[in-house]
Amino acid sequence: MTHTSASASPPAKRRLDFQRMNEIGLLLVIAALYIAFWYYANNFLTFRNQVSILRDAAAFGIAAWGATLIIISGEIDISVGPMVAFLSVCFAFILKSGDGSIVLAMIATLAIGAALGTIPGVLRAWFDVPSFIGTLGLWSALGGMALYMTDSVPVTIPPNETLDAMGGEFLGIPFSAIVMFILFAAFAFISRKTAFGRSVFAIGGNASAAHLAGIKVGNIRIALFVIAGMLAAVTAILLTARNGVGDASVARSGLEFSVISAVVVGGTALTGGRGSILGTLLGIFVISLIGNGLVLMGINSYLQPVVSGVIIVAAVLLNIMASRYGAKRQLKG
Amino acid sequence: MAAPVPAGQPAPFVASVTGALKRYSGVLALDRVDFALRAGEVRALLGKNGAGKSTLIRLLTGAEAPDEGVVEIAGAALDQGGENRTRQAAQLGVRPVYQELSLVGDMSIQENMFLGVWPRRFGVLDHREMARRTEEALANLGLHLNPETKIGSLSTAERQLVEISRAMMGEPRLVILDEPTSSLAAAQVEQVFAAVRRMRQRGVAVIYVSHRMKEIREIADTATVMRDGRAVSTFDIGAADTREIVRMMLGHDEKKDELVEPREAGPTLLSVRDVASAPKLDGVSFDLRQGEVLGIAGLLGSGRTELLRIIAGLDRPDAGTIHFDGIDMTGQGWSAMLERGLGMTPENRKDDGIVPLLGIDENTIITNSKAVSSLGVLSASRIAAATADIVRRMSVKAPETTTPIGTLSGGNQQKIVIGRWVYAGSRLILLDEPTRGVDVEAKSQIYAIIRSLAAEGKSILFVSSEIEELPKVCDRVLVLRDGRIVETFTAPDISADTLMTASLAGQSQQGAQ
Repeated sequence: MTHTSASASPPAKRRLDFQRMNEIGLLLVIAALYIAFWYYANNFLTFRNQVSILRDAAAFGIAAWGATLIIISGEIDISVGPMVAFLSVCFAFILKSGDGSIVLAMIATLAIGAALGTIPGVLRAWFDVPSFIGTLGLWSALGGMALYMTDSVPVTIPPNETLDAMGGEFLGIPFSAIVMFILFAAFAFISRKTAFGRSVFAIGGNASAAHLAGIKVGNIRIALFVIAGMLAAVTAILLTARNGVGDASVARSGLEFSVISAVVVGGTALTGGRGSILGTLLGIFVISLIGNGLVLMGINSYLQPVVSGVIIVAAVLLNIMASRYGAKRQLKG
Repeated sequence: MAAPVPAGQPAPFVASVTGALKRYSGVLALDRVDFALRAGEVRALLGKNGAGKSTLIRLLTGAEAPDEGVVEIAGAALDQGGENRTRQAAQLGVRPVYQELSLVGDMSIQENMFLGVWPRRFGVLDHREMARRTEEALANLGLHLNPETKIGSLSTAERQLVEISRAMMGEPRLVILDEPTSSLAAAQVEQVFAAVRRMRQRGVAVIYVSHRMKEIREIADTATVMRDGRAVSTFDIGAADTREIVRMMLGHDEKKDELVEPREAGPTLLSVRDVASAPKLDGVSFDLRQGEVLGIAGLLGSGRTELLRIIAGLDRPDAGTIHFDGIDMTGQGWSAMLERGLGMTPENRKDDGIVPLLGIDENTIITNSKAVSSLGVLSASRIAAATADIVRRMSVKAPETTTPIGTLSGGNQQKIVIGRWVYAGSRLILLDEPTRGVDVEAKSQIYAIIRSLAAEGKSILFVSSEIEELPKVCDRVLVLRDGRIVETFTAPDISADTLMTASLAGQSQQGAQ
């Protein structure tokens, strides 16, 4: 049954492991949602509505790539919403005050995002402050800061053609969605094919073993939060472009929970070590489809979060049961 | 409370095991063992790893039921199954104290004393009652601690004593102490002894599992030696000779042909000088040469793991120096040592060795992903080739290089954990218990791997609790005891008997020539 040496060629056979099962399951869920909403909701299948689903998805999907890696590494980031709000306000102020160079303003916003990300990263890596606490602090502080700086009034920005293009559509597809897909490809590659990406999995799977094997665990943890900060900046820039204003109200919109829900529904384990970017992509669509469909169905807006809450927990429960089943089969096999 | 038993008038048996036979998945762990203990008797339980000591203890505590045979506590046979059996044994007065401390660090002594069965008044915890009874129990062992003190702020010795006094509450008949002094410094041992003597005065029977002959001679009345699942002999400790005990523990069916051929050693690679780290190490010095396998023998708690961690740069020594390649690396840290060419396989493979969900390939190349990537991008074909090479050299049995390592047997996992340092090109490999939880066939393969690595010029530091394997792999063995190297043996003059005697020490010094 077993042979002494394994073949030197890359494995051709794909095992139908947990990840694969989960992805197939999510595709089925998405198909079921399409059928249900097509049947129950008005105008669900129109082209306009598909574009709108993509735009909703991009609003939290870009940040979800970084969050996936963070959760795989065994950490958590709950600061996304206020981070995006604060960076959006920063971006708007920079555009207003500067000489109008949009590229410089974007670079500055990315730099601020990266700098903010180092805070929970360094707290975790050097001082062992749990990332939940570090990002909880940021959640509170940045949200408050954004509202304070703007008095919760949107910050108008000077008209700009580049920004208008970024807020609009390209060949009918929202520009933000295109960015989301490009970053999806990049992060899927990083997570599978780079030493950095694999180290993230190793740290999440067994941080102590990774450390003893010589992986620079601390540096990677900091890098993950820096990446998350920069993705929040990208989200903030696109949001500002779309709305034409720097908007602090995202701070308390619950964006971070959409992100975490998408990652977890996508099959990434909150305990770390397991997950995939593709899973998160599917998770993003499940979350945004539910949101979109419930609105079109005319469900009371107070009840919508109730329904999504139930659906998300049910999806994760199914996930866990599938993985238990898989573990049992592995033991027998 | 029964006084010490007068001669000629034996106290009744408190605990007895008759004809006990126990198999674990087909392997015989206990082979018709008879074992009986009288009130007020302190019995040392001796035997090497896997001799059946823990299984015997598990029968007495009710954690396991024998396949055949009877366990009686205070004349009553344990007849319950499952969890009820443990409860039944506890009600009859069996109190085990394990070496992994089972106290909750963030709770007070008194809360720990009554963990789960806190005294209550009208449904509310009765702290006054808890404090009163705790103080009483502590005072019984001559301990004067405030019951409100958090466990976390106690010393290791104090925690051990709190555990013992917890075991003493109620009406104990049999207290089982499993290596109670392995984490203690010499001065603290006396406190444990005082506790044991008080138990004896109260007529409590004590099983004392330890291998420190000096302690055993001081505290135990009798000893039982176990080997291969049998109780080989029970005797009065006063009359016994340490070398005779060692002979009983090891048996005499060892094959002599497996011994290591003495070999010319290369230049010095690692030198350790006067390394001290309180309370475990007290001035350790040795050299390790290229192509040499150096074993470190010593009992549990003799400071073996501490020594390895200091050499690896994971911990700082209080004093002393570590030179690698003639360069002073003391306190340079783990990454610096890795860059110089050190590798280490940890004692606990599951917790610190493998990333179970990742494949064999990723668990192998984890020590040096640069060698199989360009600009940070991994090359699947280079990973597969590098892994296949290690899989072949380490004779790992696995269906594919991408199989998750968690699904492999312990032996194959361990070969990969060693192999990852071979892949990384390490010149100095520290192996901490590399054969723990590994089957017999894989063990001899691991020995062969270690010998061939040494033949390639790598230097190996080999730490093992299984004293018989040291003569099979080591060119030289150091015996660590009381924080110092007490003896050195060189192949072919390494034998399990002499190593064991040197590790146990105690009276053996006078007997040795």
